[in-house]
Amino acid sequence: MLEIKDLAFEYGPDGRLWRFDFSVPAGECLAIQGPSGSGKSTLLSLIAGFLPPASGRILWRDKPIHLLKPWQRPVTSVFQEHNLFEHLDVFTNIGLGIHPGLKLDESQRHAIEAGLERTGLAGFGPRMPGELSGGQRQRVALLRAILRRQPLLLLDEPMTGLDTETRKILYAMLLEEKARGITMLLASHDEEERRILADSHWNL
Amino acid sequence: MPTHARAAPFSHPGWQIWPGLLLGTGLLLLVALGLLSILQEAGELDPGRTLASSYFQSVVRFTLWQAFLSVLLSLALALPVATALARYRSFPGRTLILRLMELSLVLSTIVAVSGIIAVFGRQGWFTGLLNIWVPGNGWNLYGLNGILLAHVFFNAPLAARILLQALDSIPAPRMRTASQLGLGGWWLWRAVHWPAIKPVLPGVAALVFTLCFTSFAIIMTLGGGPGTTTLEVAIYQALRFEFDFARAALFAILQLLICGSLWWLVFRKRLDTAVLPNRRLSRQVPLFARRWQGFSASLLLAIFTAFLVAPLLAIILRGLPALWPTADATSIYQQLLPATARSLLIAIPAGLGSVVVALLTLAATNRARLRWLAIVPAVTGYLPLIVPPLVLGTGLFILLRPQLGNTMQGWFLVALINGLMAVPFVLQILRGPLASLDAGSLKQADQLGLLGWYRWRWLYWPHLRRPVALALAYGVALSLGDFGVIALFGSPGKPTLPVLLYQQLGSYRLAEAAGTGLWLLALLVLIFVSLSRVPGVKSGTTSAASQPLPEPEHA
Repeated sequence: MLEIKDLAFEYGPDGRLWRFDFSVPAGECLAIQGPSGSGKSTLLSLIAGFLPPASGRILWRDKPIHLLKPWQRPVTSVFQEHNLFEHLDVFTNIGLGIHPGLKLDESQRHAIEAGLERTGLAGFGPRMPGELSGGQRQRVALLRAILRRQPLLLLDEPMTGLDTETRKILYAMLLEEKARGITMLLASHDEEERRILADSHWNL
Repeated sequence: MPTHARAAPFSHPGWQIWPGLLLGTGLLLLVALGLLSILQEAGELDPGRTLASSYFQSVVRFTLWQAFLSVLLSLALALPVATALARYRSFPGRTLILRLMELSLVLSTIVAVSGIIAVFGRQGWFTGLLNIWVPGNGWNLYGLNGILLAHVFFNAPLAARILLQALDSIPAPRMRTASQLGLGGWWLWRAVHWPAIKPVLPGVAALVFTLCFTSFAIIMTLGGGPGTTTLEVAIYQALRFEFDFARAALFAILQLLICGSLWWLVFRKRLDTAVLPNRRLSRQVPLFARRWQGFSASLLLAIFTAFLVAPLLAIILRGLPALWPTADATSIYQQLLPATARSLLIAIPAGLGSVVVALLTLAATNRARLRWLAIVPAVTGYLPLIVPPLVLGTGLFILLRPQLGNTMQGWFLVALINGLMAVPFVLQILRGPLASLDAGSLKQADQLGLLGWYRWRWLYWPHLRRPVALALAYGVALSLGDFGVIALFGSPGKPTLPVLLYQQLGSYRLAEAAGTGLWLLALLVLIFVSLSRVPGVKSGTTSAASQPLPEPEHA
């Protein structure tokens, strides 16, 4: 269970104040909707630890995580774009998600290759992200997120601008993860995305 | 769960701050020790009498006067050149001009001086032409003429390059507005160019002033007499020939006061003091221009190019016969090769050291949250501009005087000071690329736990290896061409390349001098060419998501 307790955030001293208070049961997907500027991305950044909250708490399985550094939190973020290191090839990009020093054993290397194959990207390991289409890049990003094996997935407009074919693949991957017990937060404008993935909805 | 339960090597935040801080403190201490020993030495002297002496006053007056004139002339040339380069981007050979302007930054002063002598000296090309056109003109390179000429040769390109960068950073919408309104001439300058140049101008002027104020090699070779002595040369003479440490110390203190207060003024106003330009290219917007404006700009650029190229061409043309492997050329190589070895022995450690110091300094500055902690590494980076090399050298010379029979020790000091001197330039090259890492990559790295060594290996190193190579080239090149500190510590019997060149120029062995000059020039080019082969960031075809870095190329 992910619990957001009275979490507050303010951009600058006289900026707008945001307050969040909700919870997501483990293994479920909560869709957050709202117009742009309503704080969806801010909320996901707060949970990931990219932004410091002004006050409030974040609990994961009853343990506070809001004081942890981003790399210590049990979360993986997938954004609409900028998910990959542009200067590193696909294999390294995924591998760094498994071990931040790319010290991988044989089974982990195998898992990356198998994952690439399953997402229709067999043999793409040595390619640079710049050579890939937007949909291919997003598949790589999601594959990395999945292989990180973190219990909490934060999805920030992950499908925006992608073709139907890629969406189908990504839906399948995400639903499979949910079935395995991964908890998800989905910020999205897209009605179809929310319908397919989310178990509950919340309007900001 | 991910397998990075064990922390990445060197991932403790302390690793980012303490090495730079300790190194910075160490260097500051060293400088402070040097300055202290100067002060102590100067204490034995009655400052009033020395300061009142006519020799002293004339030296100070001349130093200030020539630096002032050099700034004026350099800027007078740099402003129109920068404006012309910013406006006329399709000028043929524009890239060549930019490269030449960067070369002048790393070109050993003594080499350039030998080229300038070949063009403007008694038997020079220019002098020959001038004598045909204007007989009996009384042109004499040696003295103020030569000093100013050489200072402009070095500093006008430097100033123009920095000003051009300021012009290139004009926001594109403003350029588009200017284009649409048809602004040209005065109003283009008044509304667009001048506002961009104004904030950097004081910094540029201060930089050029400092460089000319502390000029050494140029005064030594082109000065031509006691009437044209600068403080820097006076320090050297007091130390090396008169063994009057107290007087040298007094001069050094005065020089420090003048340079220091100048930079203090600049820093206090928080002026932008880019020592080295970034290469960030903006897109060209067509601007309104009358035909004569285009013509005069081309003429200006052509003359400027000729001014930069002629001395280099002279070095090449006169040096080639001397280096050509004939029977009597072997004697040249007998001197050249050991000198090259000595030069590299100093320059390579100095270059590597400057890169390491710069990287640690940057890491510490970025990391330090407390303001006073950030001051130490920031000062390390600018120290060499405030404390002129010869002043630092003087201090350490006085401090270590008893042990100076030891050649290795002398060379170590030369390498140390040269490396320190290169730090501001190296810092400037590395700062941009380090700061320009996009927020997306940093977020990812944070979430994936790319910390410490892993962060360096997978995030910074791929982005920085090319700038690091360039910075290394600058660091090595700068100390390779040093003729200042080495004159203080080196022994004439074991010259480095610049010292050898100076000796050859001094004894009028001009053919050999040309050979040495060309050799040094070729060495410089070799360093830059080989280090510029280091591959940059690979990113395949650029996509919308990837932000191409402003990637510095080699000079």
